[in-house]
Parts: sequence; C-alpha cells; structure tokens
Amino acid sequence: MKLKTILGLSSALCLCATSAPAQSETNEVEQLKQQLRQMQENFEKTQNEQRRQIEALTKKLDELTSQRQAAVATAPPVAVTTNQFNALNEKVDQIADAQKKTLPSEFNPSIGLVGETIFSYRSKSSDATGGDRPGGFDVFQRSLELNVAASVDPFAKGYAVINASADSATGEATMGVEEAALQTTSLPGNLELKAGRFFGEFGRLAYIHDHELPFVNRPLALDEYIGGESQSDGAQLNWLPPIPHYVSATVGVGDNFGGDSPNPDHPGNFRAFDGLNFWGRLSTYFDLTPNWQLEAGVSGLWNPKEQNRGGFDAFTGSGGNPVTERERRLAGVDFKFSYVPLQNNQFRSFTWGTELLFSDNRYLADPDGSLAGSSPVYSGDEFNRRIGSLGGYTYMSYKWSRQWSAGFLFDYAQSPENFSAETLEYSPFVTFALSHWNQLRLQYTHTSPNAASGLKADDAIYLQWAWIIGAHSHGWQQR
Amino acid sequence: MKLKICRFVTLAAFSAMVMAAQPLHAAKIHVVATLTDLADLTRQVGGDHVDVFSLATGIEDTHGVPMKPSFVPVLNRADLVVLVGFDCEHAFLPALLEASKNPRNQLGKSGYVDCSRGVVPMEVPKSTDHSEGDVHPYGNPHYMLDPVLAKTAVQNIYNALVATAPEYEADFTRNRDAYLAKLDAKIAEWQQLAAPLKGVKFVSYHEHWPYFASWLGMDYVGTIELKPGVDPTPRHITDLIAEMKAEHVPIVVREPQFPEKVPALIAKETGATLVKLPIMPGGVPNTGTYIEEMDYIVHSLVNALKK
Repeated sequence: MKLKTILGLSSALCLCATSAPAQSETNEVEQLKQQLRQMQENFEKTQNEQRRQIEALTKKLDELTSQRQAAVATAPPVAVTTNQFNALNEKVDQIADAQKKTLPSEFNPSIGLVGETIFSYRSKSSDATGGDRPGGFDVFQRSLELNVAASVDPFAKGYAVINASADSATGEATMGVEEAALQTTSLPGNLELKAGRFFGEFGRLAYIHDHELPFVNRPLALDEYIGGESQSDGAQLNWLPPIPHYVSATVGVGDNFGGDSPNPDHPGNFRAFDGLNFWGRLSTYFDLTPNWQLEAGVSGLWNPKEQNRGGFDAFTGSGGNPVTERERRLAGVDFKFSYVPLQNNQFRSFTWGTELLFSDNRYLADPDGSLAGSSPVYSGDEFNRRIGSLGGYTYMSYKWSRQWSAGFLFDYAQSPENFSAETLEYSPFVTFALSHWNQLRLQYTHTSPNAASGLKADDAIYLQWAWIIGAHSHGWQQR
Repeated sequence: MKLKICRFVTLAAFSAMVMAAQPLHAAKIHVVATLTDLADLTRQVGGDHVDVFSLATGIEDTHGVPMKPSFVPVLNRADLVVLVGFDCEHAFLPALLEASKNPRNQLGKSGYVDCSRGVVPMEVPKSTDHSEGDVHPYGNPHYMLDPVLAKTAVQNIYNALVATAPEYEADFTRNRDAYLAKLDAKIAEWQQLAAPLKGVKFVSYHEHWPYFASWLGMDYVGTIELKPGVDPTPRHITDLIAEMKAEHVPIVVREPQFPEKVPALIAKETGATLVKLPIMPGGVPNTGTYIEEMDYIVHSLVNALKK
C-alpha cells in the first residue's frame, strides 16, 4: 500500500511537473493569438480609415473637376474654380520642378567624349604615298576629343574641344586645343560673333571634325589647300539677312587658317595687318520639294602677305626652283543635294555633296636658293610666280536603314605649289551604326598620283570605329 | 521748293507718328510650333490674331523633324516658339533656335513656350546613361497623346498669347474656354467609347504611349525598339514575341514613321492585330486637327479589339 501510495504520489508529482510548462505555453499562445487579433483589428481599422480618406479625397477631386467642367461649359467662369485650378496647377508645377531639379547640374557644362580608332592596311610605304602613317598594317588612335560647352552668361556661350591623338612619328599621345571659343547669343541685327580658336567657316566640310565626316579621311583637296581642318585663332562674324529666304553670310579674320598649311605659321617679330588671313562665306538653301533639298555656297580665303609672318619656307617648285609662298588665295564653290524624307528620314536618306576649290597662290621663286638658309639673303635672281591649281571632291551616300548606309567618294587635287602634280582617289565605303553613339565604317581607297607628284599608286583599307559618351549635341553645322 | 521739302518732311513725320501709335500687335502674332498638335491648339486659342507655322507636317517622327535652313528665317521673325518640352525636340530645335538669332525665343526667354510646364512627367529616368538608349532626362515627352494633359498645353499657350498681346485677352479667353469645353466633351465621349480598352495589353514601336495608356487604363507591355532610338535585335524580337504570347497581347501599334516589316512580323507571329496610329495630327489622312487625331486613335484601337 505504502509502495502504491508512494508510486501514486510520485506519478502525480511527475505529471504536475511536466504539465506546468505546458500550461504556461498554452497561455502564451493564447496571448499571442490575442495580440495578433488585436493587430489585425487595428490594421483593418487603419485600412478602413485610409480608405475613407481616399474616398473622401477622390470625391472632392471629382467635385472639383465637375465644378470646373461646369464652369467651362457655363460662362462666365467662376473665380473660385479658377483659383482652385491655378492652385492645383502650382502644386503640379512644384512636383514637376522638383523632379527636374537635379538634372540641369548634370549637364552644366555639358561634357562629351569622342573616341576614334582607325585600323588600316596600305599597300605602299609612307615614302611612296607621302602619308604621315606607315604602310602595311596600322592601328591609329586618331583622336580622343573632349567637348565642353555651356552658357557663359545671358549673352554668350563658350565651348572647347580638347583633342588627344597619337603622334604620327612617335606614337605618343599629344594633346592640343582644337577649339576654344566664345560665341555671342544675343547680338542685335541678326549678328553672331565668335572669337578664340575655332574652325573657320569655309566650304562644306573644312569645319567638320574628322569623326563627323561622311567618310573616313578628309578629302585630298581640303588637305592640300586648307591644311586639314580650317582651324584659326581669330574672330568670325555671321549675319542672317532679315529676308524670308535663308541666306547666311560669314566673314572672319585670324592669324592662321588650317591645321597644317603648306607654309607653317611663323609669327616672326611683327605682324602687319595684311599678314592676317581673311575669309568669307555666303550660303543659301532651297526646298526643292518637301523631301528634296539643295544647299549651295561660295567661299574665299586671302592672306595678302604670307612673308609678313616672318621666316622663309622654301620648297622645290616646278622647274626645280626653290619657291616660297608669298600670298595665299583660295576660292571654293560647293553644293549639297539631299533627299531627306519627312516621314522616315531616320531610316532612309540620300546625299550628294560636291566642293570645288581653286587655289591661286603667289610665290617667290629663288633659283639660287639664297632665301632658304638660316640667314636669308636676296641675291637678285628672285622673281614672282603665280600658280593656279584645282581640286575637289564629290560624294554620294545612301542610307537604307537606321543602321546601314553606303557611299562613294571621288577625290582629286593638284598640288598648290605645282599644278602638274595631280592625285586622284576613289573610295567606296559602308557604314554600320550600331546606335547613334557607336559607329563602324569600312572604306577602300585607291590613290593614284601622277608621275609629276613623285608618289606611287596605293591601295588601302580602313576600318574606322567612332564612339561618343556623355553629352552630344546635334549642331547646326553637322546637319 | 523749300515748301515742298517742308511738306514732305511733315508728312513723313506724321506718318511715322501714326505708325508708332498703332497697337504693338496690330499685325498677327507670328507663332512657330514644333509639332502639328501644338500648331492646332495655338490656332484654336489664338484665332484670327495668330499666324501659325508648324515645323512638322505631321508625318515626321517627333524626334526627327529635319533641320531645314528654310525654317531659320521663319524662326527669326517669330514672336513665339511653342514646343512640347521634356527634351522632345532636342534633335532639331536647339540648333535651329541658335541659327535663327532671335533672342526673344531662346531657352528661358518669354517667347520660348514650353507646353510641358505643369505636366507631371512619366518615366523620368534614374540615369541618362546611353545604355538605356536615347532617354529623355526630364521624362517621357509624349504627354500630348493624353487629351487631359493636352489641356495643360492649351493653358500654357493661352498664357503666352496673353502675355504677348494682352489687348486680345478677351478673345483668347473666349477661344480657350470654347475649345476646352469642346475637348472636355470629346474626352468624355472617348472615355465612354474606349471603355472596352481598359486593361487591354498592347506594344508599340517607340515608347510613345505611356500617357495614353494611363489615361484609358490600358496595359502598355513594351516596345519593339530595344531601347528608345535603338533598333530591335533578333533576340529582343524573339523575347517580345514570347512575352506577348504568354500575356495574350492582342494589339501591336506601329507609328507611321517606323518601318512596317518588324511590327507586321510580330503581329503575325503572335496573332495580334497591327494598328497604324498617328502621333500627331496629319500623321495619317483625315487627321488634320488634334481632336480628329485622337478620334482616329481611339476608334482604331476599339475597332482593332473587335477583330
């Protein structure tokens, strides 16, 4: 009995010991359930409250809208509704402005970077072609252009193009200021003044940067007569005559014109007024039909006294006489005939561009070469010579999709120092634009100089890869 | 002789005084609108007091209006330039304005009428990186395809006209109110007609339709372009077709300035209906005004859904 009692008591004790925590857990679960119920109730209560608020606001908005519609339908408009409408407009403006707020700083100044790499193979060496790149296989980082532009104040904008390219001799990167100019934006009389270093307006493509050309290389005539891009340190004034027809007139003055003109720029000790370069351009435009356009222009460049720039840069002219450029005269005529369909011009277009240049330079011939030394001496045998030469290019380009276009460039130039030395080139090319900022161009060029030039015929294949990052404007000149 | 000269000088001086005494805007207000919808709204509000020239004829891409030099003298003489804003015209207007040498209409000046003022933009990009295509930093600019937002453009045009020629304020107010009443009635009609379009999914070539879709409660699934301004890749087309099949998208919208080949292929592969819709008045025949354009769009979509 005792044993049974002991066993019974101990069992009861054990049960009590095990059931006590179970009891407390049950209570805890109940409490949690209650808390959850409470939270759900609170949540539903808040949700209902918010729904009521939303419904009330929606109702109010509907009322305001219907009031306004009624006010519009029944004249005169109710002042209160107009005020409410204006207040609402103001609020919306604030939201819109807030969303715009951070963005202008991202583009002030607008900064863009353009890269351009040329992969090429030329069949002849540079000795035979006169080129500044070697024959055979070549990879040339032609340019890395940093473009910066912004308004200076309400009256002017400023821009700069800093270019880094591989030196043709050493391969080392050299950096230079291609353009850095100030341009007015609010001169009276339809005038616009540009000053600083810039590409002067001459012809059609001379003031276009390399990567924006419609083909890989700058036409021969522009290299021969202008010296690459029409870079100048000077000032340029453009005028839009106040007439219904588009005409643009430009005049400029600068102490040089062209990146690498035949007679390098020697500043000397003193530059007279007639030692400066003067240029001008007159252009116009016609809408032949809504889809067909014609642009035409004439240009002129004059440097009255090149010798005033100091120094002598004699070279051997026709007849074997050393000659020095004394006066630079260049005239050009150009046109662009284009098909730009209104409806799908991003997918289809055609351009035929042509530019003819006539150089009429004056030279000083120096048979005994006495002017070519380090201390030039007039020996009395010098005489003046006038050399006229012609050059030009014509190209056609057809675009048949947003990505693909192809064309043909025909190029011809006589040497401005010796018109007997002629070079002719033709270049078919095809362009694939992966996007607006990423473009590949493949071009074949056959160069055929005549015997007088002393150069040899050459075949070349170029693959140009150009890309843009950052800000990129659609400029008037690149249209 | 002296008397004759005196008479001539007096007459000339009197004529000059009479001319100077004329109201500032006795002649019409010269307005250049970038797109045809804005040109129409300006004519509606300005009435006989305005002479409106539109740079676009209606069939162009809103981002690809050709930069014709013949626009320059027109812009040079313009009192106002009315534009969509949100960078919609970035490909042609800034350069044209610079070439026009008209200080009144440059960015921020009184003649520069940005109709997006007061419009809350949709799809404002977090980044303007070109990996997202030719994005508009201020948001999607195609708000004119929502007629409720077009009323904001009407108000902006009205404000600019009143500021330019306050002597005609009464006329402008009357014209504006009459046009808004007409537009409100049409909006109600379009909303009723387009009730079946609610929740209907569609794709388009370019990202023209987020405001329109939001207005009618449609579901804008995506675009045929890979990114704004970037042509579709074969993989993108394949993915889009798969997505459209999975989501049972019944409508493919092609804007007239984009080629038909790819949208037609996608419509054929998915069994969707291909609809050509204008993005501004004049984009397709018989859509000369904004109301006619919106009429055409709503009816075309409703009809497409019935097929």
